[in-house]
Formats: sequence, structure tokens, C-alpha cells
Amino acid sequence: MSIYTLGIDIGSTASKCVMLADGKEIVSKSLISVGAGTSGPQRAIAEVLEKANMSKEDMAYVLATGYGRNSLEEIADHQMSELSCHAKGASFLFPDVHTVIDIGGQDVKVLQIENGVMTNFVMNDKCAAGTGRFLDVMARVLEVKVDDLGMLGAKSTKRVAISSTCTVFAESEVISQLAQDTDKCDIINGIHHSVAARVAGLAHRVGVKDLVVMTGGVAQNAGVVGALQEELGHTIHTSPLTQYNGALGAALFAYQRYLKEQK
Amino acid sequence: MSTEILLNEFKEVSEHPYKVLSQYKQEGKKVIGVLPYFAPVELVVAAGMVPMGIWGSNNKTIALAKEYCATFYCTIAQLALEMLLDGTMDQLDGIITPTICDTLRPMSQNIRVAMSEKLPCIFLAHPQYRKPAFGLQFTVDQYTHVKKELEKISGTAITDEALREAIKVMNRSRAARRAFVKLASDHCDVITAVKRSAVLRAAWFMEPAVFAEKLEALNAELAQLPVADWKGKKIVTSGIICDNPKLLQIFDDNQIAIAADDVAQESRSFRVDASEEGDPMMALAQQFADQDYEILLYDEHSNQNRRGEFVANLVKKSGAQGLVLFMQQFCDPEEMEYPYLKKALDEAGVPHIKLGVDQQMRDFGQANTAIQAFAEVL
Repeated sequence: MSIYTLGIDIGSTASKCVMLADGKEIVSKSLISVGAGTSGPQRAIAEVLEKANMSKEDMAYVLATGYGRNSLEEIADHQMSELSCHAKGASFLFPDVHTVIDIGGQDVKVLQIENGVMTNFVMNDKCAAGTGRFLDVMARVLEVKVDDLGMLGAKSTKRVAISSTCTVFAESEVISQLAQDTDKCDIINGIHHSVAARVAGLAHRVGVKDLVVMTGGVAQNAGVVGALQEELGHTIHTSPLTQYNGALGAALFAYQRYLKEQK
Repeated sequence: MSTEILLNEFKEVSEHPYKVLSQYKQEGKKVIGVLPYFAPVELVVAAGMVPMGIWGSNNKTIALAKEYCATFYCTIAQLALEMLLDGTMDQLDGIITPTICDTLRPMSQNIRVAMSEKLPCIFLAHPQYRKPAFGLQFTVDQYTHVKKELEKISGTAITDEALREAIKVMNRSRAARRAFVKLASDHCDVITAVKRSAVLRAAWFMEPAVFAEKLEALNAELAQLPVADWKGKKIVTSGIICDNPKLLQIFDDNQIAIAADDVAQESRSFRVDASEEGDPMMALAQQFADQDYEILLYDEHSNQNRRGEFVANLVKKSGAQGLVLFMQQFCDPEEMEYPYLKKALDEAGVPHIKLGVDQQMRDFGQANTAIQAFAEVL
């Protein structure tokens, strides 16, 4: 009989769940596009269980992570930081990973990994620059969907320099460019490189070593991934499970902890 | 007195310094506000007055001070002025304004202008070259100015004898705090990060002799306890200030104890004693000259990265597994020094994290994640 574990990643902008069988096979997953402090966590949990046709009681161990990890005491057996969970998830998907870059809704993290274990990390300061929130703000000003940024940026023929690090000042720059009838795609290209430059600066603090993996929702934006590859000079690997990476790591840790507690 | 009663007393003082100030005034005592860093509080004590440290506030929001301050002033300085402007510190009889950093220098003048009708402001400029004879004499001259101004406020002359007694009191307080830091590490199951901070913070608000006596009593109680069989992690803290209970609670929640510190408001303020013999003014000047491994003071051998090595060694000697640096926003000296500290820590194999903080932070979600992740790495 299989052992089922559940990883729940409550981020600032999305709630994600991954259910594993025996710590290796993904049985079910869910994603709700609202995060901590909303109905998102409960909806994501309900959905992942429903998809697998299981109940909470079928879970051998539940582990919460993410910004809202402390709000799930009723359901979670344990909670861990999302940094450890992202390291775990990335190591599962890419066993040779040494650097993980996670761009989330409100923060950026760069993790150094040795033999599948996080050995060092760096996070952004209290600033939205380089985060998913930065892209949200820019998409709103440009009147495009944030999910379309990657596709639109790929159509750019020349890059517009967005030099301000501060989100507010960068927004002013974008508005100024729009007022000058600059092509939106070129502006978006500039925005992607602005994010990449900021994240690369952070990554160099801990050192960048192949294999480099990018996780989090922003990893779905090919424009940012490409710009970051240019900035770092390293190939960046992503997975279709990029948004679920933290929850996957949480489910893997849940399985480990279950086995440890059984001994 | 039991450990719990003493700890509660320190906590009350730490959380409500304004009540303590009112109490002193009701008792007919004169109270002198003392801004950071290295003000000779011995002179205040020798004048028969109470020194009251002003290290900003974790509960107030900057509003009135904005009229005087550029946005890049640290919140400690801005909130100090805020409390002077909003009436919180109305009961003070005077204030000493040291000028060691680029923020405190102009701030001393902002305070002087803002308080011109309200409060005597005593300007104090420490010398950059504090060790040579001319530097020592400069410090004596500056302290003599402070002494004269305090004498005007207190209405009594500060005798050499009274100053020597004050030095003894402060040496006793410093010795008790140094002993407490070691005991707090040994008994980190009892002295949590929050409690440790409250004790050390209370030193800035309590009458020094009373504080020393109570802390010696607490130390005696702690010394009786068996050394903690600590299963959690131990770290060293570094930075200008780290006294927000909500932030420190994250350490306690994650089973992280503080083995030692390199914090300006804590150990960096009581590492060096003053001589109890000879000319007491020169003894205070020499005490300032003897301050070392200090970001805010000139180090002619800074190219040797002595301070970085000192902090790395502090981590190793204290038995800590890593260091958490609380980087005060807009603190130029700390930010400028960080790359050298990082280099020394990396070379010594000491893991560390840097957390950006300011006194207007109300949400510690990101700090919580970073501290928990650091504990998981350790």
C-alpha cells in the first residue's frame, strides 16, 4: 500500500499543493491564483484531494511551506521554509542542480545547493524590484496580461533601457516610454532585462554554479529566463512543474519526516 | 529575588521606558537623554542625575521628524527626534548628542533647532584620532564641555571623587552585562532571545547602580542553574540594534539561541571599562580611546580587516554555528563595512545572513523565512 504525503506551498500570490505517492510519484496537484490570507489555501487543498479522490485522513504526513505556512496549523503536521523546500524540489527534478533561482510574487531567492542540500542562500531586501510584483505592475501599466509578457517580449526588435531599480521609478520610465510611442514589445524586453540584472546581482552574492535551475511563477516567462541567461552566462533550466516546485519539495520532506517518525 | 521576578522587572522597564522616566521625575530626579554612541554617562551619574538612553522606538511612526530629516536618515535618529517633538521626552532635563556618524552630526543640529526653547542640548564631538595624546586631550576637552553643561542643569559641581564613584558604578554595570551575556548563552533555555534583549535594553533606562545590583542578582540566580542541554541552534547577532521583541521572537520560535553579540546597543557598548584611578576625565578619554573593533570608529589598521577577523573569532569562541547581521537601513558605516565582514566570515567558514531592518518594520514575514531557512541550513 502506498504512502501518500501532501506538500502545501502558500505563497503571497498563489496557493499550490502536490500529493506524492511513496515520495516519488506525483498523484495530484493544484494551483489557485491567490495566496496567503485568502480562500486560496483551503481551495487548493480541497482541489488536490478531490482530484486524487482522497481525504486528509489518507495523507500520512502534511507539510506546509511558503509565506503563509504558519496559517495551516490545523492541517499541517509540520512547516518548513520555502527555501529548503525549493532546494528539495529542484534537486528532485534536476539531481545535478547547484544553483536555484526562485522568483516569487514578492521576493527573490537564490539558493546554493551541494549534494541536494541547501548550503547557502540570499534573499532580496524589502523591495519589489526583480520580483513577480514588479512584472505585475509593469503589465498593468502596459495594459497586457502578465502571462503574455514573455510572448510579447520575444517580438522585440530592440531593447529599451529601463534603468531604475525602484518599481515606482521604473513604472514612471515605462509610462514615459509609452508617451513617446515606443513599441510595447521593446519596453517589455527592457523590463525583462531590468529584472534579470537585479536578480543576477543577487545571484552573484552566493555564486552561480551549473546546473542552474529557475523556479517560481516567473520561470514561465521565457523573456526573463532568456535575459537572465544573458546576464549570468549560464544555461538556465526550468520545468513544467516550476510553479509547483516548493509544494513538491514540501511533499518530499513530508515523506522523509514520515519515514523518520516511523522508526 | 527569583529569576522570573527579575526578568519581568527588566521586561517592564524595557517595554515602558517612558513610565520609568515619569517615575524618576516623580521622585524629583533630573534625567538626561543620551543618544548613541559612546556618550560618557559617568558624567551624568556623577552629577546626581539619571542617564536615559534614546535608541529610537519600535512602536512609533515617523511624522513630525520628517520636517527636519532627509529620508535617508536611519530610523533610530529620526524616531529619537520624533519622540522629542511629540512630547514623549518632554520630562527630560537635557540631552547629550554625540556626533560619531554622518547622520548624528546633522541630527545634533536638527535637535538643537527643534528643541531650542524646550531642552538644553549638549553637543559632543568625539575625535577621529582618539588614541594619540592630542586625541585624548581633545576628548577631555569635549567631555569638559559636557561636564560644564551638566553642572548647569544639575546645579552641582561634579567633583573628581564623584566622577570616580560614577566610573565604579558604570564599570560594575558593564561587568554585570558581560557576565550576563555569557550566562545567557549557557542558560539559553531560560534566557530566550527576547528576554536577553529586554535585560540588556533595560540598562539604558534604569539607574545604573540599581540596574547593576539587579543584574548581579539575576546572574547569581543563573549561575546556580545547570547549563542548558540545548538541542537548537546558536548564533551571534551583529548590527547597530536588535531589540524588537517581535523580530527576536522568531529566534525563539525556531529554537535559535544567541550565544554572543556584536551589536552596538548591546556588547559593543560595554566591552571597555574606564580606569578607577588617576584623573577621572582622562580615564574616560582613555576608555573611549581603548574602544576597538568598532565600525563607527577610525581604525588605522583597517586594511588588515581586524574587525572582520574579530567578529569571525567571536562566533567560533562563543560556540555559535553562524551569524545573523541586522543591517539597519541607511546605516552607511555598517553597509560600507559589510563586504569586509562577509569576506572574513567566508574565509573563516562562518555561515551568515544579512537582514535589512528598520524601526518602522511591522511585518516580519520575510525575516521569519530567512531566519527559519538559516536555521535549516545550519
